[in-house]
Amino acid sequence: MSDRTISVLEGNNFVVSDLRGDIDASPTEPLGLFAWDTRFLSRWLLTVDGQRPNVLSTDDLDYFYVQFFLVPGTGTIYVDADLSIIRKRAVGNGFHEDLTILNHKDQPVELKVRIEAAADFVDLFEVKDKLTKKGECYQRIESDRLVLGYRRETFVRETLITASAKTDIDEHGLSFAVHIEPHGEWTTCLEVVAGLGGLGEYHEEATYGHGDRRARPNVKMSLDKLGEAVPRLSCDWPSLQVTYRRSLIDLAALRFYPMVLPGQALPAAGLPWFMTLFGRDSIITSYQALPFGSRLAVTTLLVLAQRQGTRIDDFRDEEPGKILHEQRFGEMTAFEERPHSPYYGAADVTPLFLILLDEVERWTGNAELVRQLEMEARAALTWIDKYGDRNGDGYVEYDRRNKETGLENQCWKDSWNSIQFADGTISRLPRATCEIQGYVYDAKRRCARLARQLWNDPALAEQLEKEAAELKRRFNQDYWLEDREFFALAIDGDGRKVDSLTSNIGHLLWSGIVEDDKAEAVVRHLMGEKLFSGWGVRTMAEGEGGYNPIGYHVGTVWPHDNSFIAMGLRRYGYREEAAQIAMGMLEAATYFKGRLPEAFAGYPRELTGFPVEYPTACSPQAWASGAPLLLLRAILGLEPVGDHLLVDPALPAMLGQIELLDIPGRWGRVDAFGRGRVDTSAMEDSRQSGKGKDETQ
Amino acid sequence: MIDTTQAFFAQLAERGYEPLLHSVTGTIRWDIEDAGSWFVAVNNGSLTVSRDTVGADCALACSREDFDRMVVGKQNPTTLFMQGKMKITGNLGLAQMFQRLFPDESLFGTAQGKKERQ
Repeated sequence: MSDRTISVLEGNNFVVSDLRGDIDASPTEPLGLFAWDTRFLSRWLLTVDGQRPNVLSTDDLDYFYVQFFLVPGTGTIYVDADLSIIRKRAVGNGFHEDLTILNHKDQPVELKVRIEAAADFVDLFEVKDKLTKKGECYQRIESDRLVLGYRRETFVRETLITASAKTDIDEHGLSFAVHIEPHGEWTTCLEVVAGLGGLGEYHEEATYGHGDRRARPNVKMSLDKLGEAVPRLSCDWPSLQVTYRRSLIDLAALRFYPMVLPGQALPAAGLPWFMTLFGRDSIITSYQALPFGSRLAVTTLLVLAQRQGTRIDDFRDEEPGKILHEQRFGEMTAFEERPHSPYYGAADVTPLFLILLDEVERWTGNAELVRQLEMEARAALTWIDKYGDRNGDGYVEYDRRNKETGLENQCWKDSWNSIQFADGTISRLPRATCEIQGYVYDAKRRCARLARQLWNDPALAEQLEKEAAELKRRFNQDYWLEDREFFALAIDGDGRKVDSLTSNIGHLLWSGIVEDDKAEAVVRHLMGEKLFSGWGVRTMAEGEGGYNPIGYHVGTVWPHDNSFIAMGLRRYGYREEAAQIAMGMLEAATYFKGRLPEAFAGYPRELTGFPVEYPTACSPQAWASGAPLLLLRAILGLEPVGDHLLVDPALPAMLGQIELLDIPGRWGRVDAFGRGRVDTSAMEDSRQSGKGKDETQ
Repeated sequence: MIDTTQAFFAQLAERGYEPLLHSVTGTIRWDIEDAGSWFVAVNNGSLTVSRDTVGADCALACSREDFDRMVVGKQNPTTLFMQGKMKITGNLGLAQMFQRLFPDESLFGTAQGKKERQ
């Protein structure tokens, strides 16, 4: 997001304005009040005596609350002001704004205050793709409110605007004739409600009332708690605490409240374009956050299970047992111009769902949940073999049923050009990317444990273990590039190995599918200078045909990607390498005030000296906010073993002493302590050298 | 001519149990324009269908034409709801699970379903 805009959000409601608090949307500036994937305000301009005010300062104190301190605009240069204008805005079911004007003069003043309001009701997809509306916009003045509306057949969205002070309402806004005594003040509330006609969600008022920063009872709002007590961190390196706190706040901010499970929250993907339910993002973020709290994960599993695919639907890429990719609520989805109701085009999400289910049980001992979701888990396993493996070759590959609006790439690197050969040519569909095979291997092993211990089905356990072992054996044969000594990115529709060197091989370590004798070569590539930028592992290695340091999935560095790679390194005993990746990421975070962006450029660290943010990255973004949490787990070596938590730190020396207190889990609460001993700065110079391993799971 | 609405509920009553609703319990009322009301009680997947008024956890209302299109798999219930053509009050989660009782569009040919959409 640009430095000239400010965003406040709650659930899938968010307001993006300029630093004055004004909204004046244009094709290039996606400002507005957005709710349920629709823009409910595209214009919200304050004028005093016909002039737009100037900004003194802007404070975004909480993610859902912002204050703007303004002085009257003179139209020319700044002069001493004798009026102050304060706007306080809290978002939730639209927003509530307190507008106050202070008169500092010895004389009374008469002012013409006006709010210009308009709404274009564009679908978020239309904002991105610049499409035109098919329905009609209208304005209606009711006794005490302005209604901005949009109708397409029975599809109705309305924005309701009211003021507490006396006002003249016209179709384009609200006017106030204001008289303020010497040293007096005038104030009004402005309430903007986003109404969804007929969706059972037609709120009559915004979440927050006058001068009220605290939630009304229907909203569960807690700033730094994810609805539960999170562990306390202290560290000699103060930046880590900043990053930790930022991560927790952003994860709280990015909570999405599904209509189908009232009062429960799960992680939405990211601001501004992805404030919705994403299977992959919600699962990955929940996994990252597990050592710090399990509620997001439990809700994620329940909601995704409820919407598990039950039928074959080409338009939505739905298949029985498949876990959804993305759900949207806007007009284009409603009229089936886009398939997101929900859309199922993702091949990795179903095995990831199973991995998360097992991981939640490992941390929390929540056997009840595993039994409750047994049928869904079995359906997911069936999907893997029956629909995921489309051609019966034993690997999960993807192709889209929906050729018009479906996704070309159904793995986490979902941009069109992400799966290409080392010579830069694009591979052919269907594609079986390597990390998905790793996830399947891991999912089957984990479900074998669940089948044996909780589903009372040892035969299934045995079958899954056999299948997993066979998959591992074949994978290490079929995907291994003998000459380059790493795993192919994918096997494509022509049966060819897609031979680019990419970060995906790090996910293979995380899943455990890599045979021990191949691990060292994989690690050598991950930590070599072609992949490792000095901050983290690039999505694609320098030197590959498609490499571009500012290409979305072909050269940038993604924090969440690196957090999983660090876990993979730990799994295979590469403790120091994991510490180095963690330190690179944590140092990068200091350049973003503790908030890692979705992605940053893959330039070598020594070239730029600081991490360069990817131009249109989402921020905050859930799995980037979750990355420091999983990195902490990796360097502290936190691993549930039965009813105990194993702590086996391998910390960067720069961090000094770390204490993480009250880590929740099936053991109750335990503390983890560690002292940094891994010299990551020395490793910078000898990145090429492989390290011996000292533990393998 | 077969009454599609009636036939659907009769078939549901015969079905007796739907494994896809194994974790669902609650009563759903359907108010179908020009056809009247039906009550479907789900108890961990067991289905009971009745036309006698009972208390419901959620109520769904739509036109008979739209209902019949859902019944033959030609209309997606979620988008019908999003378009404002189906009203839902009460427990949305329960309403959503009811979707699983409508047949698979593919049983009726995906090409036909796709054509309908355009």
